[in-house]
Amino acid sequence: MNRRTLTLSAAGLCLALTLSACSGASSGDAGDGTLTLVAADYGDKASNSSKGYWDGVARAFEKENPDITVDVQVVNWNDIDKHVRTMLQSGNVPDLLQTGGYADKVADDLLYKADEVLSVSTKANLIDSFAKAGEVDGTQYGIPFVSSARAFFYNKEILRKAGVAKPPTSWAEVRAAAEKVKAEVPGVTPYALPLGPEEAQGESMIWQLGNGGGPTNGSGAYTLDSKANVETFGWLRKNLVDPGLTYANPAATDRKTAFADFAAGKAAMLNGHPSLIEMAKEGKVDYGVTAIPGKGGPLKSTLGVADWMMAFKDNGHREEIRKFLDFAYAKENTLAFDERYNLMPVTQDTLDEMQGSGRHKDLEPFFALLPSAVFYPLGDTSWDAVSAEIKKSGGSAVKDDPAAVLGDLQKKAEAAAADR
Amino acid sequence: MTASTAVRPQPRADEPPPARPRRRPRRPRRSLADHPLPWIGPAIALIVLVVLWPVYEMVRTSTLRISTSGFVRGDAGLDKYRKLFAEPDLGAVIGWTLVWTLTVVGLTLLLSLGLAQLFHQDFPGRRITRWALIAPWAASVLMTAIGFKWMLDRTAGVLNTALTDLGLTSGPRDWLGDPATARPWMVLVAVFVSLPFTTYTLLAGLQTIPAEVYEAATVDGSGPWQTYRRITLPLLRPALLVALVINLINVFNSFPVIWGMTQGGPDSDTATTTVFAYQLMNTDIGESAAMSVVNFGLIVLLVLVFLKVSRFQEDDAR
Repeated sequence: MNRRTLTLSAAGLCLALTLSACSGASSGDAGDGTLTLVAADYGDKASNSSKGYWDGVARAFEKENPDITVDVQVVNWNDIDKHVRTMLQSGNVPDLLQTGGYADKVADDLLYKADEVLSVSTKANLIDSFAKAGEVDGTQYGIPFVSSARAFFYNKEILRKAGVAKPPTSWAEVRAAAEKVKAEVPGVTPYALPLGPEEAQGESMIWQLGNGGGPTNGSGAYTLDSKANVETFGWLRKNLVDPGLTYANPAATDRKTAFADFAAGKAAMLNGHPSLIEMAKEGKVDYGVTAIPGKGGPLKSTLGVADWMMAFKDNGHREEIRKFLDFAYAKENTLAFDERYNLMPVTQDTLDEMQGSGRHKDLEPFFALLPSAVFYPLGDTSWDAVSAEIKKSGGSAVKDDPAAVLGDLQKKAEAAAADR
Repeated sequence: MTASTAVRPQPRADEPPPARPRRRPRRPRRSLADHPLPWIGPAIALIVLVVLWPVYEMVRTSTLRISTSGFVRGDAGLDKYRKLFAEPDLGAVIGWTLVWTLTVVGLTLLLSLGLAQLFHQDFPGRRITRWALIAPWAASVLMTAIGFKWMLDRTAGVLNTALTDLGLTSGPRDWLGDPATARPWMVLVAVFVSLPFTTYTLLAGLQTIPAEVYEAATVDGSGPWQTYRRITLPLLRPALLVALVINLINVFNSFPVIWGMTQGGPDSDTATTTVFAYQLMNTDIGESAAMSVVNFGLIVLLVLVFLKVSRFQEDDAR
């Protein structure tokens, strides 16, 4: 090795270090007439990726509107948040984004109002409960895209073996049924209670609804440690966790574990959403679906979950966005998407079609629930942070003192609400 | 390297020697290569870009209010630190971090001392067993952790089934769901992945001890335990010190074992400060950065202690 080569490689290394520090600049600024759509991937393999769906919609749209091109980027669920964050921070703002939440973007004042980018007929076609869930302080920003609702699933065969004649409709009946299952069918988790970090906020809200509680009160303030909520967790602890009628450590058990157990015939009862139907069928489980048991009787409402479409105002493509959304929310497109992934619709005409066509018998118990679904306080811009806190420590409320755990959470929620 | 063109004209054999000393004796021309900067430049650039800049960013982030989409919403001053120190979980997390670090490092050193002694002996198949010891080191730590997580799985775990079949437990248990049982298992995995490095360090140390010392000890009538305590251990001290410090830092910062097995849960019951910082990232990026700054401070403290201790070492050696 002689000196020149050393010098050169030293200089080269310097250069490389400097350069690598500023690479990764923005790629392809959307020129006028080009819409950028970033969407989450609902498929689980290449053959059913949402990329195929969106490309189809985009090409059909371009045929009708030759002056607009649509650039489609489909990103998997694990990466989409990070991907969008990078796009926003590098000034490479998309025009349309279809993902899980919208409120944080409203807080940063990035979005068009729904009124500005939806024609009157498209907006009127959205099911009311979902449109309402897209509101922040009374103005709709989030445009619902697909939805899902929770219902009570039970394994018919296990309940029959345990001598439970009909599925439970109240908390007391859940406990009674669970006790019979524990006694008669060993090796099965009587009620699967997933309060682990995956979705503690969902399971706890379902139970709280059963006692007239919930994460917020009518005026939108957090009430995580309300009397009804503390009572709910106290009941769960005393009646399901302590007697061993559910998992030993609900706070460390994720929803996917509960679903997998049910699909394997190892759990007798749980709250599930439509994707569990396919899993149960694959596992050859003879399942039933019914209303979620509340404290005194079956719940009239249920927890609804929606994924959202949102329009960014950074590029000023309001007209183009409106044209595209009207096209994408037409019945044939939304129907194709919902049927492709066995998801629930958010538009009235698609709901009517799916209910009337007779091709979706499995989903029928869920269709009935949609109009009365209640949602997380999605429009509250502090909900993301509060939900993350509940995911992390909400589950300990069935192990430690519920009042203390929920009190801590309430304090954090109030701080997050004040900080937004 | 093949490029052998000289940087400066070198006196060549076929060149006529300077006839008259008329020209002043030529001082070597200063080329780029003679400046110090190109030589230490890469190192400086590396330190600035990879060490100093991230530290600066970390400290700055800890004083900002940042929205979940990553937009800065203003200055937070020291609020994030106040929030961090008011976290009800923080005390328990720091306590567990201490217990975790000391237990894992202590057990690792103890076991490694034995293993190193064993591998120092001559026995048939020593080469193979020495290779085998590398396995936990060669495998990705995250992979090992996830492997153990599934082996301990409540319904399908092979270890759970084995323990039940052997009659050691009455039925499958949810080992990782309860902190009381999750912690010992995590310590076990952390020790398992730390053993190879530590054993090899100590083995290298053992090999530097000359055989004559042992011969002399035998001649003087020293028993095996006495020999070990009075001769092997003191002479092993430099190796032991390296193993100790590197393990302390490694285990203190250990992320994959904990994240792979329990993600610090339930709640933060099995989280160390490093994992806790990661958990906080989901709720408040600024607070998470504040935790990282505190963690960084602890590491710096650890390194300072190391420097002090290794100075003692030099004093002793004199």
